[in-house]
Amino acid sequence: MNIYDVVIIGSGASGGAVAYTLCKAGYKVAVLEKGRLIKRGEFSKDELAYCRRDLVTPNLFDEYHTIEEKVDGEWVATPTYESGWSFWNGNIVGGSSNLMSGMLHRLHPDDFRLKSKYGEIKGANVVDWPIAYADMEPYYALTEELVGISGHYEKHPFEPYRSTQNFTQSPTKENAVVKLLDKSCRELDITPLVTPRAVLSKDKPGRDACYYSNLCGSYGCSSGAKGSSREALLKPALATGNLTLMSNTYVKSLHTDKKEAVDHAVVVDTITGKEKHIKGKIFVVAAQAHESARLLLNSSNAHHPDGLGNSSGELGKNLLFSGGGSGQGELHKESLKHIKFEDLMSTGLFVNRSVLDWYFIDHWWDGKFKGGSVEFMFEHQNIITRARKNGYENGKLLWGKALGDRVVKRFTEQKSIRFEIFNDWLPNDNCFVSLDPTHKDKYGMPVGKLRVEGHPQDVKVGKYIAKKCEKILEEMGAKNIYSGVSSAPPQNLVAGGCRFGNDPKTSVLNKYCRSHDVKNLFVADASFMPTGGSVAYTWTIYANAFRVADHIVDTLKKG
Amino acid sequence: MIKRRQFLILGSLLGLSPYIEAKALSAFERSFKPIEPTIAAVQEHLFPEGSKIPSARSMHVTAFLFETVSHKSYDKDIRAFLIEGAVELDKRTKGRFVSLSLSDKEKALRAYEETNYGSNWLSRIMTLTMEGLFCDPIYGSNVKEAGWKALNAYGGFPRPKTRYLGV
Repeated sequence: MNIYDVVIIGSGASGGAVAYTLCKAGYKVAVLEKGRLIKRGEFSKDELAYCRRDLVTPNLFDEYHTIEEKVDGEWVATPTYESGWSFWNGNIVGGSSNLMSGMLHRLHPDDFRLKSKYGEIKGANVVDWPIAYADMEPYYALTEELVGISGHYEKHPFEPYRSTQNFTQSPTKENAVVKLLDKSCRELDITPLVTPRAVLSKDKPGRDACYYSNLCGSYGCSSGAKGSSREALLKPALATGNLTLMSNTYVKSLHTDKKEAVDHAVVVDTITGKEKHIKGKIFVVAAQAHESARLLLNSSNAHHPDGLGNSSGELGKNLLFSGGGSGQGELHKESLKHIKFEDLMSTGLFVNRSVLDWYFIDHWWDGKFKGGSVEFMFEHQNIITRARKNGYENGKLLWGKALGDRVVKRFTEQKSIRFEIFNDWLPNDNCFVSLDPTHKDKYGMPVGKLRVEGHPQDVKVGKYIAKKCEKILEEMGAKNIYSGVSSAPPQNLVAGGCRFGNDPKTSVLNKYCRSHDVKNLFVADASFMPTGGSVAYTWTIYANAFRVADHIVDTLKKG
Repeated sequence: MIKRRQFLILGSLLGLSPYIEAKALSAFERSFKPIEPTIAAVQEHLFPEGSKIPSARSMHVTAFLFETVSHKSYDKDIRAFLIEGAVELDKRTKGRFVSLSLSDKEKALRAYEETNYGSNWLSRIMTLTMEGLFCDPIYGSNVKEAGWKALNAYGGFPRPKTRYLGV
C-alpha cells in the first residue's frame, strides 16, 4: 500500500496551504476532499444553482448538524434538515475559499494577547496565544503574495505592521460610490481604508485579473482572479507531480494502532460507497473548525476514549463564530449627492472600503474595550434575492401591478449600500461542538452537535459599532437605514474547537498546531484559534497553515 | 449506444436507485396534474399581463415550477406542501378558483393569506415564480431575458451551460 508523507483532510484554505508547501518541498501528499472538483471553466453565475439550492454543499437530509439553542431555559437540539439552517460552506475542491468575497485583514498584534491587554471578561474563556504577531507576520506576507491579495497600505493606529512596504497588487477597480463614502467618513472624522481583497487586479502566472462580473461572493471565479485554495495553491501543487488529489472522498475517522500515532484514515468513496484506508506518516486535519473537531471525536478508540488527542478534555470546546452583524441603506436617484447616478449604477466594480477606527475603543465616556472592524459593500447583486425581498408591504405579500412597480423602481432608481461588522465572538462554555448521541449522517457517522450561544458582550460591541456605521450612511444621504446585530452565529465564519497552547492540560494543540497527545497529527484550519480577533478568518487561516506547513517540513527533514 | 452504456454504468454503481427515483417522480407528476390549473391561475394572478415585469403566462412559470420542484435538489417536504396547499385552496373555493372573477380571486387569495398555512404557501409560490422570472433562461423561464430586461439587471458571465451544475 502507498504510504504518503502527508495526508491532508480537506482542500480549503488551510489544506491547500499545507499541500502547496509540502509538495514544493518534494514530499508526497494526498489531499482527501469530500466534495467534487469544479474546474475554473465550469463555474458560472447561476443564481439558482449556487445560491438557492444545496449543490455545492451536502443535501441536509444526507449530512447535517444539530444546533443546540436555549429555549425557555432548556437546551434544545434541532437538526438542520428541519430548520434549513445549513452549517456547510462550500464542499468542493478548494472549499469555501472558492466562494468567498475575499475581504481580508490581518489580525492585530493585540489579538494575540487579548487577556494581557484587556484582562478577564466574566463568562468568557479569554487566553493569550502561545505565539505573537511577529511569528505570524512573515506568513501573512507570504499569503499576500502567493494567494494574491490586492490592496493599498495606509498608516493607521490599528493597522498592524508589515514587513513589506505595500501590496504588489494594486486595489481592484472601484465604484464611484467610494467618493461619497470617503467624503462622508471624513466629515465624521472617520478614516476610510482600502480593503485588502483576495482578488487579483493584475494577471499572475496561470491566473487572469478580475473581470468584474458583478457576482463574486457565493460564486466561483471564472478568471482565476479570486485567491481560492484551488487556484492559488492546489493547481501549482498538482504541477509538482507530488500531489494526489482525491475528491469525492469522505473521511470517517483516523485510526491509531499505537497510542501516539495515526496509522491511516478510514475513507469512503462518495460515489461508489467503497471503503478504503489511506496511510501516511503525518496527518493534517483541515476540514473547517466544527468538522475537524467532529472527525477527531469520531476517531475515539481504546487509547483515546474521549476522542483523538483529547486528554485535555478541550476538544470541541470554545468554538468561535464572529460577533457583529450588518446594516444597509438605500441611495436614491433623486437625492444622490456628489456622484452621478449612472456611475453609482455601473455594475461589477468594488466598494473596497473598511473602517478600523473602532478596533479598540478607549473613550472617556464609553470606556475601554475591544471593538471590531467594518466592511462596506453593495448589497449582494443576486437578482432573485433582491426582487424577492421587495415583495412585501406591511407584512403582506405584494402582488399584481403594484409588485411590478415596486420591483422595477427598486432596481432602476436606487442602490443599497451595506456594512458588515466583525467583532470578537468571545469563547465561552456554551459554544462548542460535540457528537450528537442519536443523529448519524448517511455514512453512518454521528453528526456534530453545535451549541452556539454567544457572550452578551459581543452584541453590545456590535451595536456600539452599528450605530456609528448608521451615521456614515446617514451622512451619505442614504434612506431607510437599518442594522441588525444579534447573537446568532454566522455559519460561514467558524473557528476554534482545538485551541492551541503550551499547556497540554488546557489545550488540544501545541504552538505548531500539532496534537499534544498524538505526535503525527496536526490540525491546520481555524480550529487552533483560542480567540478569534475582529476580522474575517481567511487571511489568518492561510497564514497559519503556511506556518504549520513549514514546521511539518522541518519535522520530515529531521526524519 | 453511448447513452445506453452510460445508463448501464450508472445502473451498476447505484443499483436500483435511478429506477426508484424515476418512479417517485412520476408519482409526483400524478399528484401535480390535477392542481396544475390552480397553481397556474394563482401565478397568473400574482403576475398579470400589463405589469412592469413580465407576466406569468408569457414566461412559462408553471412548467418552470414543476421542473424545479421535481429536481432532486428541491426540498422534498416543500414539494409535498406545494401540492397540499393548492388542494387546500381548491377546497376553500369549492374547486372553482380557476374560474373565479379577478376580484373574487383577489378576495380568495387575501383570505387564504390570513391563515398561516395559506400565507406560507403563497410565499412559496411567489418565490418559485420569481425564481423562474429572474433566473438564467436555461431553466426554461425568463424567456429571452425578459425578466432581466424589465429590471435592467443581468446575470453575470459566464452563463451556465447546464442546469444545476449538471447534477
